[in-house]
Amino acid sequence: MNIYTYDGSFEGLLSAVFQIFAERIVPVDIIVESHNQLGLLDQNRRVATDDAKAGRVLSALDRKSDGRASLLVYKMHLSELPQFEISIFRFIKTIMDSRQGDVLGNYANPYIAEALRIEKMIGREVHRMHAFVRFQKSANGIFHAAVNPDFNVLPLIGSHFEKRYADQRWVILDTLRHYALYYDLESTNFIKSDHQLLASLCTKSSETDWRDAKEDLYQQLWVSYFHSVNIQQRNNTKLHLRHMPRRYWPYLIEKSLIEKNRSVRDRKAS
Amino acid sequence: MSKIIEKLQVLSDAAKYDASCASSGSKRSNQNKGLGNAEGMGICHSYTEDGRCVSLLKILFTNHCIFDCAYCVSRRSNDVRRAAFTVEEVVDLTINFYRRNYIEGLFLSSGIFKNADYTMERLVRVARMLRREHNFNGYIHLKAIPGASPELLHEAGLFADRLSVNIEIPSEQSLQKVAPEKNYPDIINPMNYLAEEKAQYQESKPKVRKTPLFLPAGQSTQLIVGASPENDLQILRLADNLYQKQKLRRVYYSGYIPIATDNRVPQVKAPPLVRENRVYQADWLMRFYGFSVDEIVSPQNPDLDLEVDPKLSYALRNPEQFPVDINRDDYERILRVPGIGVKSAQKIVSSRQHQRLRFDHLQAIGVVVKRARYFIQCPGIPQTLGQSQPAGIRAQILALDHSRSSPQMSLFG
Repeated sequence: MNIYTYDGSFEGLLSAVFQIFAERIVPVDIIVESHNQLGLLDQNRRVATDDAKAGRVLSALDRKSDGRASLLVYKMHLSELPQFEISIFRFIKTIMDSRQGDVLGNYANPYIAEALRIEKMIGREVHRMHAFVRFQKSANGIFHAAVNPDFNVLPLIGSHFEKRYADQRWVILDTLRHYALYYDLESTNFIKSDHQLLASLCTKSSETDWRDAKEDLYQQLWVSYFHSVNIQQRNNTKLHLRHMPRRYWPYLIEKSLIEKNRSVRDRKAS
Repeated sequence: MSKIIEKLQVLSDAAKYDASCASSGSKRSNQNKGLGNAEGMGICHSYTEDGRCVSLLKILFTNHCIFDCAYCVSRRSNDVRRAAFTVEEVVDLTINFYRRNYIEGLFLSSGIFKNADYTMERLVRVARMLRREHNFNGYIHLKAIPGASPELLHEAGLFADRLSVNIEIPSEQSLQKVAPEKNYPDIINPMNYLAEEKAQYQESKPKVRKTPLFLPAGQSTQLIVGASPENDLQILRLADNLYQKQKLRRVYYSGYIPIATDNRVPQVKAPPLVRENRVYQADWLMRFYGFSVDEIVSPQNPDLDLEVDPKLSYALRNPEQFPVDINRDDYERILRVPGIGVKSAQKIVSSRQHQRLRFDHLQAIGVVVKRARYFIQCPGIPQTLGQSQPAGIRAQILALDHSRSSPQMSLFG
């Protein structure tokens, strides 16, 4: 039983794929080294990460797919879904084995369909980040937001916000994965969550200190706007929840402020 | 501080009956590292509890109005709180909401105060200040005030992504009854003017290097459904005309909400939401599915079926057009099958170049097979259905829909 192990990076995974193709072996699984739990009959094939080999896999994929498949594979990697590695391998194998053009157009192939299904899930989460990120302005002028997306989508959303907020400094922090995107008016970069910039933003103890003087006002205005545009005669909770699932509410000011007020009220009542 | 909140409450409450919230379809990109970007798809940033999307800061400049339209909450004779923004207040709200990623831009409408030009001039001033002084490249939708001068409309078109004049009442005869100060020419003329201007800019585009953007997201309008006696045939014919002649991008339909008692409009208990939904479905069939008005409604059947959607209704009325062969028939015919949308149809046509499609493939592709199965032909389709007559199919689909929407029956009661 051949089990390939890699270091957990995207390049490492692609290096493993490269090696599998070179060795012409059908893998049972591809897993990250630290998760490595080998059975008695398993044979561990450890793969060293090689950026050049990884690059060759990506360019071969793009040659076969009008430049589309490499991004798709990257998105599958960001999905962090269980056993995404073997899905990626099967998808790559399908592309490389195809003789006909437009192989990605075959939705009836299970591996292509699987890849496109994951891409759609990622796309939906990216779109939700575009929609549901709520910036708060801090006293030093930086706009910041905290999110915890279902998939690791931060690498996919930077350019959207950079184009839109070209004249303001902003930070989007992934509280689950402990890193952030930071735009400094020149370019967007990843920073770690222990970066001193974030430390000054996230001090919860003195909650009003770090915020811009007018931040509260605009939040209140937004919440008040959100309520007055609702048409009560048309209330439709099911539809409301489908568009705005509860797990996103904590970072939606218009929903979390209500919840906060509600819990204060409940406490007073009891 | 509390004053601006109060104004926002009054003037957003009054604007919410405008169904339009689109922020897509513009070509305005970020310029010179300014604020905002309106190219590409619009985004719904939030959803109110009625399930409608919040994409734009949708407000009236003022709800003071000299008109007395029976269907409108801001009509002169209605006893409501009145308020008015200043130009600076609207600009400040827009910029600060936008910077926090609450909105895609501004949708500014207004009651008519003093006269049409005076009102239009204020709206244009807001848009000009946003674009010129704040380098704002987000989305701006302005109301074109009926009867405003061409000069102002033209200027509005240079700053806004979209302009709209609402027709509201779908026939001139009815409009006269409920909105005595309004008339069709005042509404249609600005539409025609703007359509011609836009066409001219488009024509000069290949010749003049720096042709400015003029209404990159085009025009839209709104029709109220159920406030006057027009049937769906009349409404859809009017909409079709507006798409063809005035080149509108969108017609919105708003089920009439009984906002206040005025005896010129019918007294209804609840808005006709099902009918509104059916009209939207019919509109989609005309714009994306290649249906003509006459195929959807006819003088014999002037109203849409409220029980089943118009696409299914068409299929049931025209059994000779089916079944459609998934592996052979062209895209246009596949698109007409109930349960197959634009995306599924495209996927079918693209996948069948690689292999013959079976019934289980369709499910994976995203086809609603419990609807489509009655109208298609392909290998692997379950043959045990029994029903092939339209009436029987209709009953079966209705039963399926019904069982889904009602709570599940308990097996052991």
